[in-house]
Amino acid sequence: MGRSRSTVNFLRIVMSTPLPRLGHPDLVFGLGLRTVHYTHILEEEPDIDWFEIISENYMDSQGRPRHVLNRIAERYPLVMHGVSLSIGSTDPLDHTYLKKLKKLAAEIKPHWVSDHLCWTGVAGKNTHDLLPMLLTEHSLNHVIERIRIVQDVLERRFVFENPSSYVGFTGSTLTEWEFLTRMAVEADCGLLLDVNNVYVSSRNHEFDPEEFIDAIPANRVVQIHLAGHTDCDTHLIDTHDHPVIDQVWDLYRKAVARCGPVSTLLEWDANIPPFPDLHAEVLKAKHQLRPESERVKEPGEDLAKTDSSSVPHPLHHNKVEVQ
Amino acid sequence: MKHNDLDRVQRWMHAVITHPDGIVAGADADKARELLDAGAGNLESIVTRSTHLTAAERLAIYGNAYYSRLIDCTGEVFPVLKRTLGEEVFNGFVFGYLQNYPSTSYTLHHLGRNFVGYLSETRPEDAQWSDFLIDLARLEWEIYDVFDGPGLEEKESFEFESLLEIDPARWLNLRFKTAPCLRLLTTKYPVNNHYTLVRGTDEAIEIPFPGPEPENIAISRRDYVVRRYHLSLPQYVLLTELQKGEPLGIALESCADAAQNDPSINLEHDLTNWFSYWSSEQSFFENISGESESQFS
Ligand SMILES: [Fe+2]
Repeated sequence: MGRSRSTVNFLRIVMSTPLPRLGHPDLVFGLGLRTVHYTHILEEEPDIDWFEIISENYMDSQGRPRHVLNRIAERYPLVMHGVSLSIGSTDPLDHTYLKKLKKLAAEIKPHWVSDHLCWTGVAGKNTHDLLPMLLTEHSLNHVIERIRIVQDVLERRFVFENPSSYVGFTGSTLTEWEFLTRMAVEADCGLLLDVNNVYVSSRNHEFDPEEFIDAIPANRVVQIHLAGHTDCDTHLIDTHDHPVIDQVWDLYRKAVARCGPVSTLLEWDANIPPFPDLHAEVLKAKHQLRPESERVKEPGEDLAKTDSSSVPHPLHHNKVEVQ
Repeated sequence: MKHNDLDRVQRWMHAVITHPDGIVAGADADKARELLDAGAGNLESIVTRSTHLTAAERLAIYGNAYYSRLIDCTGEVFPVLKRTLGEEVFNGFVFGYLQNYPSTSYTLHHLGRNFVGYLSETRPEDAQWSDFLIDLARLEWEIYDVFDGPGLEEKESFEFESLLEIDPARWLNLRFKTAPCLRLLTTKYPVNNHYTLVRGTDEAIEIPFPGPEPENIAISRRDYVVRRYHLSLPQYVLLTELQKGEPLGIALESCADAAQNDPSINLEHDLTNWFSYWSSEQSFFENISGESESQFS
């Protein structure tokens, strides 16, 4: 005998209402793993909840970066964050890249693997930038179809981040949050909500960032990014070289109120402060979410507020050690 | 106009933001106009403006970032060449390079792989200094490549004593498997020395180009740190032959030929020292084998 209609309906509801964070754990507050901090982390074993790694920096590494990663993986929870999937490009998916991504994931066992809703190049060329999508029904279907392929190949749900953007297209017919929401639900993938990117894009494209936060499917948010940016008056640039500003903290609190506690990562990629200063910034984030937790040390007042060259989304590169 | 065609919009934007002369020139160039015939005067038919920025100004954020990020990145691969040339001249070379060899890889680690070739292709006929720059770029690329490539750190180390345990009658047939991270380089200019000098000198101090003087260099890695070794010509010849897979006997013949005119070398005495040192460095040899595997099993 088949299942009763009510059981089918119940299953349908359960299936279409994902668990909070798609069932992923709340890893609490993490930091991006950067070359300049390797020695400190290995020697001091700082009390950081988890690290996010840039997948491309390790997928081919047979030298020190990979050696260090293996040691860190023994001690800390990890997540993988890529910059080269180019899910929105009209170029074919790079299956060599996917294979390497899958292999790295099998070896270091991250809690999840993410990249960005963007394209990085076309016609075989890579700009190594996170370029903004034309937001139409057609491009949405294009992206959904490709996410399904990626998830099939990797045999796991993928997670996509909203990037900062500086141009919009007259041909776009959807808002970014409509696009992300439909993409996440229809492709059944996770979201990495970068609240700084929401803020940067909201200023650049003159929309209400709260509308963005209110719209996204809360249970699909498995991770949040926090970062600093550069205010150029006429526009903002996502430089990851400053402390997080108050308005972004406000958005963060709003996001957490909607999504519940979510693994949160502080990104800092240019003018990287010494590890203890970054650690202090992480503790501040912890305090924002759980004020009753330990007394928070404010980050050093002397944090370098040096000139920024204002290049969006700084690059990730391994530093060579040579005698 | 197909301003809502994903493929056209992407190809158009790519052509516009990577144009070496900027957004306006990029939008007016045939490549972009064949995709979306807007031209610089009509950019706002494709890209929206904001209250404060025009479409061209917004696109320029991506355009400026494109060259600046990749030039910076290439500078990290060739730091000594960058300091030797000065930032402006170096960046000018890389700007030309990126136009001829744009990245086609998912990883930035491949970004500099054609730079030495590009410098050679564009080498001015009469300029000697360009050989120096090419040699220096070769050295830095090898260092960069060795740093993150395969090495011997996770393998059992090769001991000099294992050589001594083998019947000397068989030595001439031995083949050495050299370390996967061992690179042997011969240069027209003493770039290894220059590299050391630049790295040991304050940024503010300018270091002159050296005069031509052939140099043989080994680059390898131990404990995940890249190491550089100056080699005499006979050492270079010997290691090159061994790396090619020649048996020790053949390699020694070539080595002896190379040592003929060098009175400072006494091969009978020096060879033991060389092999002992190379073995102790754990960055030259992975293992040895005879003509058939069974001999030393
Ligand atoms: Fe982010």
